[in-house]
Order: sequence, then C-alpha cells, then structure tokens
Amino acid sequence: MATAAINIHGVSKVYNPGSPQAVQALDTVSLTIHDNEFFTLLGPSGCGKTTLLRLIAGFEQVTGGEILLFEEGIENLEPSQRPVNTVFQHYALFPHMTVAQNVAYGLERLKKPKDEIRLTVDRVLSLVKLTELANRRPSQMSGGQQQRVALARALAPSPKVLLLDEPLSALDLKLRQAMREELKQLQKETGITFVFVTHDQEEALAMSDRIAVMSNGEVQQIGSPTEIYEHPVNRFVADFIGDTNFIDGEIISVKDDLVSCRISANTVFEAEDSGNHKPGDQVTLFLRPEKITLTSDAQIVNGESHAGKVTNIIYLGNQALLSVDLGNDIELTAQTRPREDGNLPFAVGDSLLVEFSKRALRVLAK
Amino acid sequence: MSDQLTRPSSKRKILPVGHYRGLGLWNAAFLIFLYMPIAVLIFYSFNDNRMVMIWSGFSIDWYIKAFNNVAIQDAVLNSLIVAFFATVISTAIATIGALVLARGGNFRGKTMSLGLITLPLMVPEIVTAVAMLIFFAAIGINWGLGNVIIAHVTFCIPFAFMPIRARLEGMDTSMEQASRDLYASEWETFRYITVPLLMPGIIAGAMLAFVISMDDFIITLMVSGAGSTTLPVYIYSMIRRGLTPEINAVSTLLLLFSITIVTAYWIVSNKTRTETVH
Repeated sequence: MATAAINIHGVSKVYNPGSPQAVQALDTVSLTIHDNEFFTLLGPSGCGKTTLLRLIAGFEQVTGGEILLFEEGIENLEPSQRPVNTVFQHYALFPHMTVAQNVAYGLERLKKPKDEIRLTVDRVLSLVKLTELANRRPSQMSGGQQQRVALARALAPSPKVLLLDEPLSALDLKLRQAMREELKQLQKETGITFVFVTHDQEEALAMSDRIAVMSNGEVQQIGSPTEIYEHPVNRFVADFIGDTNFIDGEIISVKDDLVSCRISANTVFEAEDSGNHKPGDQVTLFLRPEKITLTSDAQIVNGESHAGKVTNIIYLGNQALLSVDLGNDIELTAQTRPREDGNLPFAVGDSLLVEFSKRALRVLAK
Repeated sequence: MSDQLTRPSSKRKILPVGHYRGLGLWNAAFLIFLYMPIAVLIFYSFNDNRMVMIWSGFSIDWYIKAFNNVAIQDAVLNSLIVAFFATVISTAIATIGALVLARGGNFRGKTMSLGLITLPLMVPEIVTAVAMLIFFAAIGINWGLGNVIIAHVTFCIPFAFMPIRARLEGMDTSMEQASRDLYASEWETFRYITVPLLMPGIIAGAMLAFVISMDDFIITLMVSGAGSTTLPVYIYSMIRRGLTPEINAVSTLLLLFSITIVTAYWIVSNKTRTETVH
C-alpha cells in the first residue's frame, strides 16, 4: 500500500454560511490520494472539484472535516506555509517579471541561496523546454508557452503535491493533446503527486492513475480509468464518461451474477449484475456503443441477436454513431467504422442485426 | 454573389462621418471656437508692444521679464510646493482607499464610502472653497501654505483615486493568490506583486492630482493668505493691475507644463492598456 499524500476526511464546504446565498459546495467528501500518483478530480462545473483543490491549497477554509497532508493537519497553515503549489486555470503569471523571475519567485521567498536558485531555474526551464525564452515577458508568449511557465513556476520549489486547476482548458485541441502526454511524462519524471482538476473526461482517462468522479459536492466513484469506464457505480458516472445506452427494465430471475431483465412485453435481456438485485427490482442496464456488433447479412438469429432498423447516423470521421430501432420502443446507439473505401457499411433505413454479449450489458444501481 | 451580399451590411457598419455634408465645416468652426482664444494668447505672448492687443513686432522679452520677475518665481515655487505635497498625500490616501474598497471584501458602508470619496467631484468648487475658508477660520488654523496644501489634498483625492481603483478592479486576484501559494507572506505579496502591478494606476493618479492642484484657482484664492500666493492666483492679480504680454507669457508656460504632464499621463495609461494584466 502506497503512502497517502493527502487524506480528506469528511470535508464539507459551505460558502456564505447562514445567509440566503449559502451554497453547499462540498458535502462530507472523503478520499485518499496516494504519494506519487496522478490523481484527477473529474466532474461538471459546479460539482465542487475546484473548491476541493482550493481547500488543499489553503485559499478557502473547510466548514467541516479535516485535510491531512502526509499525515499532518494543515488547517491552521496559510497558503504560503503549505508545501503544495498550484497551476492556475489562467496561469496567473506575474506580467511585470520575466519567465526566469517568475520561476525563481517561490525559491526567493523560501530564501534559498542565489546559486541554488539559478541552478533550479535552469533545470526546471529545461524540463519544460523553455530555456531559450527565459528572458521573455509572459505577454510576449503564446498560450502554450505561458502554460509551461506556469508549470515551471509551480514545480521549481519542489512541492510535495502539485495542484492543477483545469490548466489545459484555455489551449486549442492539438496543443491540449500534446500537453496531456507532457504532463503525464512530467509527473513520472518528477515523482511529485499531481492533483488534476478537469471537466474533460477524455483528459481524465488519458492521464490519470486514478479518478474521482464528482457531482453536486459529492464523490460518486473513485477508481482507475478502466474501472470508471467499464464499471461505473451509478447512472451519473456511466453517463458522464463516454457515450452510453441506458435501458430500463425489471428483473425477473437471478442466476449467479447473471440476471434476466424484462425490457418490454416480449423482450428479455440477460445482463451482468455486480450488486445484489432480486426478482421484481426496477433497474437500469447500461451498454457502451462500441460493445455492440452490427451485421447486415441475415445470418442465423441466435439468442443474443436482435433485428433492428437504422434511424439516424452521426458521422465522426474515424467512426459513426448509429441509432438503431429494435422495436418495442427500444432504441440503441451503436458504433461502427467506415469501410476501407471510406463509405459506411450502413445507411439510414437499412435493416440489420444487433449483437452484444450479456457480459457487456451491466446492471446499474437505480 | 458574396460581394453583393456583404456590401450593404459592411457599408452600414463603417459609414464615414464625411458622408454628412457640411460636417467638416462644423467641425472646423467648433475647433476654432475651442482653441482660437488659446492660440491668440500664445501669439500675443511674443508681442513687442506693451499693450497686449496691439501687435508691433516679434520678441521674447516678455518671457525673459517673466523669468526675472521675483514675484512670479515665488508664486511658481509656491505652486510647485503645494502641488508636490498635495499629490504625495492625496495619492497615498487614494491608494489606501482604493485597496480597501477593491480588496477589502464586503463591509458595512462600502457603497457609501465609495460615494463619499468621489462626491467632491460633484460639489461646486465655490462651495468647497467657502466651506474651507470658514472651517480654517473657525478652528483657527493659520499655517500659510499648509492651509493651501490641506485644501488641495481634499479635492485631489478623488482625482487620484479614480485611475488607481480602475487599475485595481481590472487586476485579477489570482496573481496575489499565486504569490501566496509560492510562499510569499502578505507583506511580500503586497510589495512584489500588488504594488508593481498597481504602479501605472498610482502614477496616473498622481499626475492627474498634480495637474489639478497646479491650476486650481477658486479654492486657493479663498484659503491662501499673504505670502502663500500660487501661480494662478498671481496671474489673476496681474490682470487686475493691467494687461501686459507678460501675463500671456506666463500663461503659455503654464499651459506647456500642463500639456507635458497630461501627455505623460496619457502615455503611461496607454502603456497600461496594451500591457493588459491577464
């Protein structure tokens, strides 16, 4: 078991407590962030992820609960006394200082010897590949370069934990994708614990060791990217991460970890159940579009195939999302790839067969 | 095709004012109305004749005379002393006020404080002048130039306050948070981050206060006693003794001085705008 970098015990945060504008931003949140981990707080805006980051940094005070940094309480420490550094969403670079002065700022405040500061600044700037731009002002740099300066400035004092508040959101798509890899690489090289806040699920899946999915001030699920994507614990998580089909139904029989679920008068799906459901329970099944196989030729219809009709196609270049009507008010979104000649294998109105494994269909707690 | 589509809308957007006939003429007449008196004043400051309005030849004698006039020298010195102290004190007070109002969070009477700071801009100057005169007489303060400086500080504060506050409002607090995050104490954050970022606003406010103090007449006339005559008050007294081109010369120099300061103010605030704080 890795050592804990940050322990969050039942932390609540209420803004403007006691006033009519009181807002509960966090509701008894508990989680542990391991040392040397790339940990992501993922959720829609207003879910409390940034508030949690600001509580760790010390810009806000907890209303209840406690935060431990390497087993020590940090409640009474000013932001300037906490061994954590933040990369701000809009970088917050000091415009009246050069890049090198920006990066040296934290080290100077820590009263490090001049020689050491110079060496560290050189080392960190080469780490983010900005050595040549050391004497520029932030206003003379592109967004991507400013982003690197912000990273270098936060990394220079060698914090125990680096907090990143949606640092990639202001960059364009290509740059964002390149920075993802760099951030991941940087985390490995430095061995510093990264706590990364984002609302972009793709970003979270691509970079994180573990993800905490948040909504309405509560943690919905904590797990590795695979766990979160393949085994979401509830409808919110399944819906927020990736595209998903939700199918409502009633359980009619249970056998080991497989349940039979009545979807409509004459449709019964078999599905995997991780929870303990019993016959009569109303449940939601979920099925990822890429787990569905589509075939056009009228092969033998076995127990897991269903006849359907294409009602709509969304073309995305490397793939296409098809809406398939299975009758009985059941419509699924399925994924297909273009053929080698670039054409899609199906067109709107085509009849086809839909197949999916009962292991791909899972029961969500309602 | 696309040309036909875009032309009418773009035409509507950037319709040049020259489109309206006769506007140029109006414009010229208006500018003459504004600047002709000043141009005439400058022109006759180079007049050789003792009588202001009778042109008899070019000379810079009146400038030399004005420079050698001990009374004018004293008045200029007084004006500079008053403007210097009024600027320093009012800018300091305005900076503190702006910091409290922009960074002090919400407190009782915040809106009222803001109103009270800017109110002197709306109060008729003669009212302030009479109030000052009566106030000084009532409490028996008779510090000569000191009285003038106190009076100037009061009406310079709102002028210094406005650009400083505007600068602060436009400043993102995340920069100060970043500084705190990077192990700076509150004092270090103020010294290394807040003050340097605020400096363009402080300089702009100070220059505005300086110009306002330099050319104030009504309040100064009321509160200045013997020996504390400032340049505008002295110019007024010269007029009463009879018009000579010396007045023109002094006024032209004062004008030049004001233009210099206002230009400097404009350059500083312009630099601020291009170097926007992100």
